Amino acid sequence: MKTQIKSSLRAGITFGIVTLFLYLIGFTITVSQIIQNLLKLEPDSLVLGVDALTFSFALFMGGLGFWAGARQVSVSRKGLGSALVAATLSGLVHGLIVALVAYITGTLNASGIKMNTYLSQLLPASVQLFIFNQTPAVGALSQLGFLTFMGFLGGAVSYGITVSNLFGRLAGAWRSLWGRVNDVPVIAKFRASPAFNYTVCGLILLLMILLPLRVGQYWNYTLGTVGIYVLLGLGLNIVVGLAGLLNLGYVAFFAIGAYTVALLTAPAPHGLVWNFWLVLPLGILAATLVGILLVVPVLRMRGDYLAIVTLGFGEIIRILSKSDALTFLTGGPKGVNNVGGPELFGWVFDDVGYLYLIFLSVLLAIFVTRRLQNSRIGRAWESMREDETVSRAMGINVLKHKVLAFAIGAAFAGLGGVLFAARNQFTGPEDHNLMVSINVLSAVIVGGMGSVPGVIAGAFVLKGLPEILRELENYRVLAFATLLVVMMLVRPAGILPASRGKFEIQGGGSTSEPGKEGSQK
Amino acid sequence: MKAALEARGVTKQFGGLLAVNHVDLLVPESSIFSVIGPNGAGKTTFYNCITGFYTPEKGDVLFYGESLVGLQPDQITYCGIARTYQNIRLFSTMSAIENIMVGEHSRLNANWAEAILRTPRMVREEKQAVEEARRLLNFVGLAGLGDQAARNLPYGAQRRLEIARALASKPKLLLLDEPTAGMNPNETAEMVGFVHRLRDELGITILLIEHDMRMVMGVSDRIAVLDYGEKIAEGSPSEIQNNPRVIEAYLGKPMAE
Repeated sequence: MKTQIKSSLRAGITFGIVTLFLYLIGFTITVSQIIQNLLKLEPDSLVLGVDALTFSFALFMGGLGFWAGARQVSVSRKGLGSALVAATLSGLVHGLIVALVAYITGTLNASGIKMNTYLSQLLPASVQLFIFNQTPAVGALSQLGFLTFMGFLGGAVSYGITVSNLFGRLAGAWRSLWGRVNDVPVIAKFRASPAFNYTVCGLILLLMILLPLRVGQYWNYTLGTVGIYVLLGLGLNIVVGLAGLLNLGYVAFFAIGAYTVALLTAPAPHGLVWNFWLVLPLGILAATLVGILLVVPVLRMRGDYLAIVTLGFGEIIRILSKSDALTFLTGGPKGVNNVGGPELFGWVFDDVGYLYLIFLSVLLAIFVTRRLQNSRIGRAWESMREDETVSRAMGINVLKHKVLAFAIGAAFAGLGGVLFAARNQFTGPEDHNLMVSINVLSAVIVGGMGSVPGVIAGAFVLKGLPEILRELENYRVLAFATLLVVMMLVRPAGILPASRGKFEIQGGGSTSEPGKEGSQK
Repeated sequence: MKAALEARGVTKQFGGLLAVNHVDLLVPESSIFSVIGPNGAGKTTFYNCITGFYTPEKGDVLFYGESLVGLQPDQITYCGIARTYQNIRLFSTMSAIENIMVGEHSRLNANWAEAILRTPRMVREEKQAVEEARRLLNFVGLAGLGDQAARNLPYGAQRRLEIARALASKPKLLLLDEPTAGMNPNETAEMVGFVHRLRDELGITILLIEHDMRMVMGVSDRIAVLDYGEKIAEGSPSEIQNNPRVIEAYLGKPMAE
């Protein structure tokens, strides 16, 4: 019993602190607005006797309170009574903390003190919302009662679900349904045959061809950005995910690709207006060469030391491109404008054309990655990641394979840079700051190190989601951090972790042949 | 009788510490040769001198008459020497069979361009590599466990997998570093039989570091004893068992009267 009370108190305090934190950074009001938009409520309309924003806010707070209560049941499964007591207690503590702060800030706000001078997000509107647009005392008491009740409710509902094993039954029903569908001879046969893989690939390809024509310019642009991040992620995946070399200056290769195309196709500063198709391989080549040059001095470094040196290298490239002394060469801090783009048989590439080009590059990168991964070289990389010393004892020339990993990673980044600069018709130093490296690395880690589908998923989560959740722009870093922490707790190996090929057992007949695996999936 | 491995006055120093001091050794081809000695006697350091992880300050290591000193560890593997580790060091997230395929690295030739293009030669080579890896899995008695992650295998299986990985490079000389560490008497007896099979069926010369005397006496043709980096004795198992200096090194001097 004592431990249960302790755990309830702890949960209540945690939820209270988190709620306050969200309140202090202005997250509560932003989320309320998002909920209001999502529910398509008119700002002036009344829902259940309160205005739309307050209603949305109550939904949000109610959700938090519900969660706080529901969690307690999974911790203490000792009968309805104790579960409800635990849930209500944690709701009460949660409510007390929130009510106290709501009362204080409400009173201060009512007496005309501008708290946003000190805490920039604590705007009067946000404070008013936090006390449900009531007087401080009434608002605080409402918070207390509401959160306690929601804790109780969360406990009751969660207890019901746990006891009836609702989720377990649903999952079981789904599995049996899915199993029955798969047992139908025609479907089973189709799934096992190579035709299934080709059909899936064909559908994805069809989607990639049709999608850009349908979704409009804004989404084409966004999808293109995600695609370029997939490309970068695939490159970094080889360096970090497969070969295990932590590279924090990956953006440097991206910058070199971008600047190569910019300087060789833009009218200023050099007046070299070369053809894009000629410059594309040059950009990749330049990035690859720099990748090889960089890796030579850092070959014998491992782990943290390598990370720091590459971090510095990325910054050096950015600062060089920004420096006044090199303005004659790089265009300086203002960057390079009017970067030339591709043209094919008289067709100047528009947003659709660029998206096709990006998709094509991504497919190429996936192809190369898969082929290398399922070869002697991929195995050598992975063994280096696992244990470099033993890897050498297995006859692997570690230096050579490190150079190769860096070179191929750099080539992908160079290609990404070329496409990025050409599509934006601009490149400048701030396109190539540290955040690009961090974002790409996060995409690889969140998606699943060493896994191609993982990298794609990671890039969508990290570059695509922020576009969808535009309103949360200010809380992006917070959201990333939360996401990373949650990922490390829930799925430490990533969203779609790398799956290992099956070599030993030749069952099923279709995909177990390792020689064929590379081109499929 | 040809010498597979010959050490001539190998000396390795760490600062003031003479870890290996002027060790001479002659390992005949197709023999099982054990190196024993108390903890810290320099056995593993000696191994590292052979496999290229350390460069001896003095002396020479000859493998079928060719000097190994100055070669990188991966080059030495190409010459035909493979090793296992005292504390198992598998590539733990890779599957068992992939571990063996990493061991085959030195015998495969595909470069990155061939790997991307999947040339017929590369495909053939990969196919053979998988077959060979399956054969080795069977040889060490791990058939059916090949697609398990190496770290999920039981302890004894990991030991055998490490040997299979070493065998994958088709070595002429195999260096085993305490292969029975942490094993019970039954498993140790099995390992004795297994080491004999390696020599008899594959014709591999075996150099063994071992603590377990049952293993050493049961398996070795010849034994060398190291103490404080120096070789204090060498001979057949029975000679070593009765050598007063060896007994002293292991059990200490009799009390002075």
